[in-house]
Amino acid sequence: MSLLHLSFYSAFTLSGLGLAFHRTHLISALLCLESMMLSMYLALSIWPIKNQATSFTLTPVLMLAFSACEAGAGLAMLVASTRTHGSDHLHNLNLLQC
Amino acid sequence: MTYFVFFLGFSFVLGGLGMASNPSPYYGVVGLVVASVTGCGWLLSLGVSFMSLVLFMVYLGGMLVVFVYSVSLAADPFPEAWDDWRVVGYSLGFVVVLVVGVVVGGFVEGWKLGVETVDGGGMFSVRLDFSGVAMFYSCGVGMFLVAGWGLLLTLFVVLEVVRGLSRGAIRAV
Repeated sequence: MSLLHLSFYSAFTLSGLGLAFHRTHLISALLCLESMMLSMYLALSIWPIKNQATSFTLTPVLMLAFSACEAGAGLAMLVASTRTHGSDHLHNLNLLQC
Repeated sequence: MTYFVFFLGFSFVLGGLGMASNPSPYYGVVGLVVASVTGCGWLLSLGVSFMSLVLFMVYLGGMLVVFVYSVSLAADPFPEAWDDWRVVGYSLGFVVVLVVGVVVGGFVEGWKLGVETVDGGGMFSVRLDFSGVAMFYSCGVGMFLVAGWGLLLTLFVVLEVVRGLSRGAIRAV
């Protein structure tokens, strides 16, 4: 693994940890999801450079299209939670309690 | 050029770190913008400029703009920046995770592999546009100084032309 592979791999891991150790806001967790998508886009873009295969360059664009759909769905949930709970604080989403 | 690409990769991780420590969303978006801009610069340096442009247009210009104005739903009365002690604790923990990853992956001596671009690679690889513009400092130093002097002169020319109160050249407005 070269140093640049470590770079996007660790950015993905840090964003995943930031999503797991969320604090207050739902939108901070959605931003961590976006950062995971960004590091996956970089990884998929560097792969055809290593293999010198041009047909693999359509994979990151396809992934970006689906991540745009996912971001839109996440923001719609953010708006829905602000409408019902008054804010996007994650400790308000407490219906499923054991 | 290799050190520049390493710097861009390091800034990418720093942007992700500043965002994963979950400050107030106003500051988290700054970390994400830094990470995506340095990621685009990284793809540009490796040679896949179209992927970089697609990332700029779709990700920064489309998705992040929507995120930035949705951040207005998350208004805090006292927003926490990276100097708040809670955010500092999270970011120090993530720095520990990074250091463990670097040490376990064997990168303390293993950084000598260099970068690999679309048409070459190694520790001393330089692309065509990087090596051309860097000639500003070696062969083209005369034109470099002339251009810098011209820009400084233009600053003062503009300041004098728009000075309107008592000594200006243009008085209509």
